[in-house]
Amino acid sequence: MSLADLTRDLEALRDDALAAIAAAPDPAALQALEVDILGKKGRLTAVSRGIGALPAEDRPRVGALANPVRTAIEAAFRERAEVLGADALRARLAAEAIDVTTPGRPIARGARHPSIEGMAEIAEIFGRFGFVVHESPEIEDDVTNFQKLNIPPDHPARDLWDTLYVDLPGHLLRTHTSPGQIRVMESSRPPIRALLPGRCFRYEAVDASHGFEFFQVEGLMVDEGTTMGDLRGLLDAFAHAMFGAGRKTRFRPGYYPFTEPSVAFDVECLVCGGGGCPACGRTGWMTILGAGMVHPVVLRNGGLDPERYQGFAFGMGPERIKMLKHGITDLRLFMDNDLRFLEQFR
Amino acid sequence: MRVPLSWLREYVEFDLEPDRLADRLTMLGMEVKGVERRGGQWQDVVVGELLAVEPHPQADRLSLTRVAVGAGEPLEIVCGATNIAPGQRVPVALPGAVLPDGRRIERTAKMGVVSNGMLCSGDELGLTGDADGILILPPDAPPGTPLAELFGDVVLDVDVKPNRGDALSIVGLAREISVISGAPLRWPVGEPLEAGPPVAERLTVDVRDPDLCPRFVARWVGGVRIGPSPDRVQARLLAAGMRPVSNVVDASNYVMLELGKPIHTFDAAAVRGGRIIVRRATAGERIVTLDHVERELTPDTLVIADSEGPLGIAGVIGGEASEIRPQTTDVIIESAIFDPVSIRRTGQRYSLRSEASLRFEKGQETRLARIGADRCAELVLEWAGGTLSAGRVDSAPTEPVETEVAFRPSRVGRLLGLELDPDEQRFVLAKVGVVTRPAGPGVTIPVAEGAQPLEVGATDGALVATIPTWRRDLVVEADIAEEIARIHGYETIPPTLPDTPPPPWQPSPLELRDGVRETLVGAGLFEAVTHALVSPRHVQTFAWSGPDEPAAGEVAAGGRPIAVLNPISPEHSVLRQGLLASLADIVAGNVRQGRTDLALFEVGKGYGADGETAREWWRLAIGLAGDFEPAAWNRPARAADLDDVKGIIELLAARLRLSRPEWIPLTDEPILHPGRSARVRALGPDGSLGLAGRLGELHPALVERWDLRVERLIVAEVSIAGLSAGRLPVVRVAPIVRHPAVERDLAVVVPAAVPAAAVDAIIREAAGPLLVDVRLFDAYRGAPLGPGEKSLAERLLFQAPDRTLTDAEIDPILEAIAAALATALGARLRT
Repeated sequence: MSLADLTRDLEALRDDALAAIAAAPDPAALQALEVDILGKKGRLTAVSRGIGALPAEDRPRVGALANPVRTAIEAAFRERAEVLGADALRARLAAEAIDVTTPGRPIARGARHPSIEGMAEIAEIFGRFGFVVHESPEIEDDVTNFQKLNIPPDHPARDLWDTLYVDLPGHLLRTHTSPGQIRVMESSRPPIRALLPGRCFRYEAVDASHGFEFFQVEGLMVDEGTTMGDLRGLLDAFAHAMFGAGRKTRFRPGYYPFTEPSVAFDVECLVCGGGGCPACGRTGWMTILGAGMVHPVVLRNGGLDPERYQGFAFGMGPERIKMLKHGITDLRLFMDNDLRFLEQFR
Repeated sequence: MRVPLSWLREYVEFDLEPDRLADRLTMLGMEVKGVERRGGQWQDVVVGELLAVEPHPQADRLSLTRVAVGAGEPLEIVCGATNIAPGQRVPVALPGAVLPDGRRIERTAKMGVVSNGMLCSGDELGLTGDADGILILPPDAPPGTPLAELFGDVVLDVDVKPNRGDALSIVGLAREISVISGAPLRWPVGEPLEAGPPVAERLTVDVRDPDLCPRFVARWVGGVRIGPSPDRVQARLLAAGMRPVSNVVDASNYVMLELGKPIHTFDAAAVRGGRIIVRRATAGERIVTLDHVERELTPDTLVIADSEGPLGIAGVIGGEASEIRPQTTDVIIESAIFDPVSIRRTGQRYSLRSEASLRFEKGQETRLARIGADRCAELVLEWAGGTLSAGRVDSAPTEPVETEVAFRPSRVGRLLGLELDPDEQRFVLAKVGVVTRPAGPGVTIPVAEGAQPLEVGATDGALVATIPTWRRDLVVEADIAEEIARIHGYETIPPTLPDTPPPPWQPSPLELRDGVRETLVGAGLFEAVTHALVSPRHVQTFAWSGPDEPAAGEVAAGGRPIAVLNPISPEHSVLRQGLLASLADIVAGNVRQGRTDLALFEVGKGYGADGETAREWWRLAIGLAGDFEPAAWNRPARAADLDDVKGIIELLAARLRLSRPEWIPLTDEPILHPGRSARVRALGPDGSLGLAGRLGELHPALVERWDLRVERLIVAEVSIAGLSAGRLPVVRVAPIVRHPAVERDLAVVVPAAVPAAAVDAIIREAAGPLLVDVRLFDAYRGAPLGPGEKSLAERLLFQAPDRTLTDAEIDPILEAIAAALATALGARLRT
């Protein structure tokens, strides 16, 4: 064996290997070829063994001859592997193609009822001002529903609440959440910031804006220095949170026997923006709630000293709020529970 | 109340567009609900001057008229009325006009003569009550003028609040407008001319119940001629929403609208013995009222009577026998004050509430009895002629002095949050006739009235306000504060936010309830809110059998159903005791709308009574019908079944950190399918009952009977601890075990009747602490199993916190499980 022989063998192996690599049809064949050529028992190793037969003075030059061959073959393997890998991936991707325009698989989600959602939204807004939710019974006594709220029997203001009476002496279905004011005052001390959501009942014929069952949210704030200005500021904040910042509001006199002064609170019509339209009776305003400073008689009936404490109360219908907010024109939808209505709140 | 602006202008001047006026009144607390423009209904109706009235050539009962209507040729118009004569001015509906009743006027031939329009009666125009003849217009009305220019008006619909009975009148509202415009009120009432003999010679009045009738004033007008009242009066009454009747009756109605004082007029000839008695009715007494109904009176009804019997129900409705008739010549005017509560009860008892009784109910100042009588007499003389007897019969002529209310301007400012110095407050009050002066020593401030009145001593700077007699609503200091705010303008109160410390933090009673809702919504269910008031049939049909088992701390369902005494309808006359009936109705309603795949829930109350005590309990109800999983293009739909509702309850139990729900077969619940229903129980961390209730398929017979039109309705009604006022549990996070879990499957062959829950329970008990989960993943019946056998495939998961488990550890456990299953259930393992 001479250096020339070895050189020839290496070159032959290289040419042979490069041709075989280029011809390898797939990654598996290429891998087999790699074992065959570069493996421990592979052909390159076999050729390299020829070094031992070389004269001692030639041996140092062998490296210079063999290394470029190994490098060239390894490079060829890498290149071919890349080519073959890309081909395989391309083929797989082509085989896996689907019609991406088919509809998605439905994911179930229901929705809260809009009356309940309305109450939650109201509670959320007033919660930021420190109001705490309380609840009071739906089957209420006449004393708490009316008399302690400064509405004696046979008071003409009783016409404001057409009442459903039940077969329990002295009891009725609460006509408003206002009796909760009395119950909160009787059970807690100022500072009071209470929110009372719940179901109410009235003797009313059902139409697009009336129902005999509906919800209300009552608010009560009593402290030593709570003013009507605070009421106005808070209601403004509420209207802006619920209907959008910058929404104009109107704070005007109203009447309730249990507040003095009493307030009616309007927002700029959400349909016409204040210009006047059928939805707002051409006034440009929509009334969203009633309110007022708690009447001294009511404070006293709740066990508080009206000389020391003062505060305000307000009451609103979450259905009315939701109707205005979402453009719902018929109150009956809330109790019909038609899925075509409910699913719009998903 | 309907308020024609033309009428209002008689008492006060104002220079405001109607919309602006409406706005200002609303901001004063006199809410204007609507602004109606009258006149639009008289398009193409103009003033005509009758040039000629001649007989119709072909018809005896018709006339042929020539009418000048301003510019252009006079028109020939055929007319059937007999009250017309040349020279009169009359309303002419031109061809193309549409009358208020919708009738369209055309150029038509009438008995061979072309009529170029129509002459109109007051009734046809909705302008007066007279349908018999053509409306004769004032002689100075210029021909061709649109009728709307003569009679057009704007009518405000004002919502006067119950505390302001004084403003339930045109004059009362004029007072409010004078606050706005600054113009003085023109008081309409004068001194009627008394030309007859003293009234005392003709009439005496005996008020036997002065508590129910604090004042009774009567006047006598003799020799009247009953007929229609003047056209302008009729037009005014109609615009205000009242039908004209006759001059005398219209006079009383006019005074009621003008001054807010209800007046009754009697035919004096029907008052026997010239003596009026105001008394309570005797039991069994009867009267035929003006609405031609014979009524039996109860002893708490106040009547106006003569010596023979009742003439009318005081303050509510008159009697037919003494009403004003065409032949009436002498009239008694009654202007009385009645007890508001008595009037209110009487009106309710006989279902008779009138414009008059509504005003009496709100309370009236006693001065008005005298003023109203005088004003009515004045108008009767003017419209019906006759002679007014001198003097009044008056049961209580002494009129009360004005009341006084002391107040502290500083307290008013503190309540309103409005800096307004005392002089400004006094100035504002003066605008509504409330005169103020500094409080002297010994004056007390009325803080609260009613059953527990509160008065406190006046402090420095306190003022005393003298209240006009008509303002019966100004009683305590807070009323004065409202009046100041109202007149000064609510809009002048600066909005502020509370700067006092909030109350200490408290949990919301809604926290757990809302958590339940959110969980179910996330699981695809829609929340329903159904009626609490249902029919007795609902309550009976959907009643659960046996005693209720509520979750810990929740109210048990039960007690007798509570009925409404005055129900809106039989369908909503009883409070429900469970949620399923109304939920079933919602299912039925949706199915009828073509929505058959339903997953609904409601969180609501049931109600019951024990003796005279009510109880209310919270429950969750679930209803599933149709497909629970909808079909996708590559997946079939899957119908809801019991496992779905169980899965939902398991999800809830997991959310509420309760134990795995235990399903207990329920075979005798009448409303449920006996083979497909269960009780459920799940425990809280402390072992208390966290969730309990019943679930199943609604009994097929009930589905049929209730006409639900679904194949199956899966329902559940459960009580949950904390649903009434609880908080959501706080998660305690367990450390993540890093050693792998080992999975083993067992096929347990048991007699077919053995419930899966029994197998599950024995596996858990026998396995010991290394078993972390066991789950049924298949159930099989058939060969090679015996005919009465089934195989339950259970997947067991073992894990230890501190090591990787080996077969050597698990195999003995599996053997112990097999032995326990064999002993307890006669089970064998299939390999």
